[in-house]
Amino acid sequence: MEPTLLYARLVGAQLRGQMQYKVSFLLALLGSFLSCVTEFGAVLVLFSRIPLLAGWSLAEVALLYGMSGICFAVAELFAAALDNFQVHIVQGSFDRVLVRPRGALFQVISEDFALRRVGRIGQAVLVMLLAVRLLSIDWTLEKGVLLAVALVSGTVIYFAIFVLGATFCFWTVQAKEATHVFTYGGDGLASYPLDIYRGSVRRFFTFVVPLAFVSYEPALYLLGRQDPLGLPDSGRLFSPVAALIMAALARYGWQLGVRHYQSTGT
Amino acid sequence: MRLYWEVARRALQRQLAYRTENLAGLVTNIFFGYLRAAVLLAVYAATTNVGGYDAQAAVTYAWITQAMIMIVALWGWWDIELTIRTGDVISDLSKPFSYVGFWLAREMGRAAYFVVFRAVPVLLAGQVMFGLHWPSSPGAWLAAGVSMLLAVVVSFGWRFLLNVSAFWTTDARGLGMVANAAVMFLGGFVVPIRYFPDWLQPVVLGLPFASIIQTPADLFVERIQGSAVPALLVGQLAWAAVLLGLAQLTTLLATRRVVIQGG
Repeated sequence: MEPTLLYARLVGAQLRGQMQYKVSFLLALLGSFLSCVTEFGAVLVLFSRIPLLAGWSLAEVALLYGMSGICFAVAELFAAALDNFQVHIVQGSFDRVLVRPRGALFQVISEDFALRRVGRIGQAVLVMLLAVRLLSIDWTLEKGVLLAVALVSGTVIYFAIFVLGATFCFWTVQAKEATHVFTYGGDGLASYPLDIYRGSVRRFFTFVVPLAFVSYEPALYLLGRQDPLGLPDSGRLFSPVAALIMAALARYGWQLGVRHYQSTGT
Repeated sequence: MRLYWEVARRALQRQLAYRTENLAGLVTNIFFGYLRAAVLLAVYAATTNVGGYDAQAAVTYAWITQAMIMIVALWGWWDIELTIRTGDVISDLSKPFSYVGFWLAREMGRAAYFVVFRAVPVLLAGQVMFGLHWPSSPGAWLAAGVSMLLAVVVSFGWRFLLNVSAFWTTDARGLGMVANAAVMFLGGFVVPIRYFPDWLQPVVLGLPFASIIQTPADLFVERIQGSAVPALLVGQLAWAAVLLGLAQLTTLLATRRVVIQGG
């Protein structure tokens, strides 16, 4: 319980600080909300011109978009400081983190709780609710549980990717932007049916970086669709396993990185 | 003139120092280019013409706009706002050159760097992966080139105004985030404006944002050609003039304000 309480206190202090600049906060909130709204606006514009995208209807794509969006935004809420981790390395402030009597990852995560991104969660939830409303899914307990498990798993997968992205900084800070391929790029990829990408890309994001299990595979199950990749049906229930593997990798990678860390000495 | 040329050259040289950063950005731009092109290509699975683009033109549209991100600083650019916050702006304002001209020259140098080291490799990657539509005549290349240049000026004018708003408000960046979302959507980056509902298109095309992305991209993929080209370029030129004029005007107002505060 103690770490949770400490986290709540640290984050509370953070938020009080952020709230000192109310207009800034509100504008950032609006900005992040608007950029998501326009992103989904693009989907609407495309579907105003065509009835189906690679065989998927607007509501079906909206389901993918909403699922990935919720997972990504929730992960980002906690991981905002990780996406900015290079600052610690450049300024040498990671030394300070290492001498404190708490886990390094825990401390870094506690530095920023990105409440300003909450607009993104709201938007994704709206899109998903709309999708569920429009789709005639025959809801059973099984499907409800699968959706809930998929959302949690997807969040863990994105969070693990953020941790791995920060870990990357222990080796190079200059190439940090490339990690956006898997964070923001991952969300972009998982917002559309994987059918539109070529085989090598689909395989990579199924078997190497398992973003397929954030939205695509669980959605196939919910919608009762065939898997064009030819994974066995059980593959659609694989999300929690993918999440566990990613979490373990992130944990191991981060520990390796911390051990590799050499202070800049400044 | 010589001075501004040197300023631009230095700005370009400064960028040359960030080799690894550029490579990382390039990887990211190319990945997103692939995603955006894949989505647009899927649109053409059952149709051959949407908004006046065929599949190849649409895919090229995705790549050329992707190539332009850094040229027109689409993700935001706060170099001037930073000098206002730190106070360094005083030294820039007191130097014997045009303040707007100084920053425009710097931006031209920065843009030139990204044409060579970002846009060209991004387009080549698009060519390898999808096969792009390239301008088919020297005239089309010229029109696209002039349009890109004007796009940099229009985008600069817009960004300049957002930046110098920091003289009056501490929330310039928050404002900028909202404005950025508008530019990306209304400029035709997220999806081409010509995909929009027909009644909405003339409105959005009439805004200055189309001059930053949609117009140069349309000229590159030759969605617009022949006698319609000069009118488009004149439109861009008009927006460039208006925004630069406003930039000059706000600089005058801001300078007065700085003097009043005593710097």
